[in-house]
Amino acid sequence: MNALIISAVFGVIMMFTGIFVKQKPVTRNIAIAGVALLLLVNILEMSGIDFFKVHTAGFMLFDRFALLFNSVAFGSTLIYFILSAPDMEKVGHYYADYFALIFFILCGVVLVASFQSLLILFLGIEIISIPLYILTGSNKRNLISNEASLKYFLMGAFSTGIMLMGITLLYGATGTFDTQFMNIETEGTSALVIAGMLLLFFSMAFKVSAVPFHFWTPDVYDGCPTVFTSFMATVVKSAAFVGFIRLFYDAFGSIHDDWKLVAAIITALTLLVGNITAVFQQSVKRMLAYSSISQAGFMLLGLLALNATSKEGIILYATAYSLATIGIFAILLKMNDHSFESFNGFARQQPLLAGVNVIFLLSLAGIPLTAGFLAKFYMLKATLESGDFLWLVILAVIMAAVSVYYYFRLIQAMYFKEGDGNAIEVSPGFKLMLVIVAACLIVLGVFPNLLLNWLYF
Amino acid sequence: MDLMVIDIWLIIEKLALVAIVVSISLLIAMYSTYAERKVAAYLQDRRGPNRAGPFGILQPLADGGKLFFKEEIIPLTSSKFLFVLGPALAMITALMTSAVIPWGGTLNWFERNISLQIADINIGVLYIFGVISLSVYGIMIGGWASNNKFSLLAGIRGASQMISYELAMGLTLIALLMLTGSLKMSVIVEQQINGPWNIVYQPLGFLVFFICALAETNRTPFDLPEAENELNFGYHQEYSSMKLGFYLFAEYIAMFISSAIMATLYFGGYDIPFVNESSLSASIGHNLVTILGGFALLLKVSFFLFVFIWIRWTIPRFRYDQLMNLGWKKLIPLALFNMVITAVVILLLDK
Amino acid sequence: MTIIQILFWLLSALVLLSAIMVVINRHPVYSVIWLIITFFGISGHYILLNAQFLAVVNIIVYAGAIMVLFLFVIMLMNLNKDMEPQKSKWLKLVGAIACGCLLLVLIAALKDIDINNQIAETNTGNIGLIENLGTVLFTKYVIPFEISSILFLSAMIGAVVIGKKD
Repeated sequence: MNALIISAVFGVIMMFTGIFVKQKPVTRNIAIAGVALLLLVNILEMSGIDFFKVHTAGFMLFDRFALLFNSVAFGSTLIYFILSAPDMEKVGHYYADYFALIFFILCGVVLVASFQSLLILFLGIEIISIPLYILTGSNKRNLISNEASLKYFLMGAFSTGIMLMGITLLYGATGTFDTQFMNIETEGTSALVIAGMLLLFFSMAFKVSAVPFHFWTPDVYDGCPTVFTSFMATVVKSAAFVGFIRLFYDAFGSIHDDWKLVAAIITALTLLVGNITAVFQQSVKRMLAYSSISQAGFMLLGLLALNATSKEGIILYATAYSLATIGIFAILLKMNDHSFESFNGFARQQPLLAGVNVIFLLSLAGIPLTAGFLAKFYMLKATLESGDFLWLVILAVIMAAVSVYYYFRLIQAMYFKEGDGNAIEVSPGFKLMLVIVAACLIVLGVFPNLLLNWLYF
Repeated sequence: MDLMVIDIWLIIEKLALVAIVVSISLLIAMYSTYAERKVAAYLQDRRGPNRAGPFGILQPLADGGKLFFKEEIIPLTSSKFLFVLGPALAMITALMTSAVIPWGGTLNWFERNISLQIADINIGVLYIFGVISLSVYGIMIGGWASNNKFSLLAGIRGASQMISYELAMGLTLIALLMLTGSLKMSVIVEQQINGPWNIVYQPLGFLVFFICALAETNRTPFDLPEAENELNFGYHQEYSSMKLGFYLFAEYIAMFISSAIMATLYFGGYDIPFVNESSLSASIGHNLVTILGGFALLLKVSFFLFVFIWIRWTIPRFRYDQLMNLGWKKLIPLALFNMVITAVVILLLDK
Repeated sequence: MTIIQILFWLLSALVLLSAIMVVINRHPVYSVIWLIITFFGISGHYILLNAQFLAVVNIIVYAGAIMVLFLFVIMLMNLNKDMEPQKSKWLKLVGAIACGCLLLVLIAALKDIDINNQIAETNTGNIGLIENLGTVLFTKYVIPFEISSILFLSAMIGAVVIGKKD
């Protein structure tokens, strides 16, 4: 509850900052302080110190899983703000309002991570989506940004409609919104429940951009101002996944056998399409968009398995994926254009940046000693534990190998190709922050329990 | 309430009431055109209509007859159905609101208590609001179906104006509803008969409501949809004969109805001022008091109609940006302020 | 057949017919007008369930405000039926198949519902009256109610960010 209320309050504070504070660095520092405060109060809540005694009436449950994910989300946002917030200035004139919208998104993230009622899930998804439509279209002079925003809005509205329809059917069948008390029978499940569940599944699959509901992703990620793509592809996406898993764990765990196959097919498709298409991309930004689809495929494995390991895995995956992607996007933002060629000769100009970039890419590809490897390992382990889906595990491993190709293409461009590239200037603080992020990835890759122990103690 | 058992007398009674209310509205609307011209003449030091009948009292009939017998022209390129639907909608929505206004207390005839309100529904005030929000369509559809740039612009102007002012109107209504605690029109009037009128508690709310009512009825200074000098003749430029008459007439009916609403919500409805109804009905009879109450309401309405007309011939028209600024930057904050103050006072007095 | 049943079937027919007309009409303005009629039909259903508040709010919000904005945009953009692009035959086929599947699922879902013990409270239920709705909203559902304010606030900020001149 701490984080929910404080993030909403900070949204309002940022709004007023836009009126009263004219210096952009001050605005930025207020926002960074806000996220840091959010992280702090959330960690305090994990240790049992709750400032706001609100009776949630069963609508939300702030369990370890939710709180830990919130911490990961706030931590990633903090790093994102420190690394990329200066780049938001270039997007448009409403600097403070962008921060306000991001704080509201964080509010939605908290809701989606802790809901126990379909009402809250719906509100959370909407609170996440609506500010994102705006952020996508925030570069108003750029037609591509406008198009992406409109596309995202239309598709998003459509998927929200499907979700509402699913919620309606479920309510009709069970008479409750509460995911804990749906009491869905394992035998002879009513067709209403199945229909409602499928509709919910599809709409959530849209939100996490699983194939075949992924068509919006590349265009939207590409058209969106890069600095917001970074946020959208990381924190928001992992939040959608946490909501997805929570929903199916709480409400539909008893009929796991009924939807396992659908989930497996969608996972396989997502892995295939995401990875294979990413190979053919010429722009790093678009490659990252497809890579986000392929990473979604791995996260879907956690949904498919639906056991304790998969809950651990999703937290680790969210952390590893968010940190690495935020880091790559932060470097990408400093480049003049987003093609692979612009990275030619990057290692000679900026050896340190190139080095940390390699660590991020290795983590995304899932090379051992990085957090990305362990995250993928947990997912595969969870799937194996649940039985049945050996073929999917094999497919996932092959696809991970494919992903190495396109991630290494960037490494190759940086180290083995000659080019004048574009000389970028970065502050020492930026470099330091990137090094810290890379260090986090390696530490988590060796000692994942530093993070995962929070789930239990 | 059971739809199964049909009380045949109730239906007859309600139908008769509908017929009476509609014809009275039409009559009053007719004579407000006359009043409009007379007041305008007085303000401009002229005589006004004085040929048809004594003091020109038959002038509205002559105007109506003229409109009926004029040639009907439907422009070739327009959408015919919508073209006809426009004025019909304007008229219907203007008249529909009268259903929930209590025109008086109860009459005691033939052992029956006949209420002078067509429908005392649970959501009276919201019903009015709903119908007002629909009245946009008459203008918009008419303006679009005319297939004329001026008409279209006027229709869109009118619609955006009405939507903007609806917000402030709704906010003032919220403040009023916090005071009354009921959406039923009859209860609101009942409370004012037994206590002071709502205007005493809600002067600011009434002011905002009144301005919004001016805008909702497209009266000067808010008559931008029919601004002659900018848009030729506004959204009814292509209309002729009685369809034009309907548009013009609907405006006067809307004026009449919104006066009645203001009288009901803020000025005690059919309450006779400074008179204790229950002691009066003991001396002259219940029915007579009810009829007197109805006349009191009509008097209040006439006063508001006069104010409407007075304003029209006194204040010049706003420019479009001024109109929007007034609506969004002045009236809505004022209405919000009014709402918050009302809420705080009610909360403090309750504790 | 009681009056309520007759009204129910009439309204249902009206709603379905107008909803179909929304889709098949090629002229956007007519589509919007049919949609408004659909909303009226739905409001009629609410009234049959004695949910007067929902009925009138449905009219105020959807028919009175949102549809007006729709008409605004359509009229200003001067959309005519000639401007609608022809979609390819395959796209139509795929759409038909996908929607057919959805229809099948929904029919399967709705076919075996036990309607006898969950009959709607026509005209007797009073949960739709404004007092009861208000009570429920401010006691049991106060948390979602308050949270929705965040949603609206963010939407408002978004509208300003998008709408204001750069």
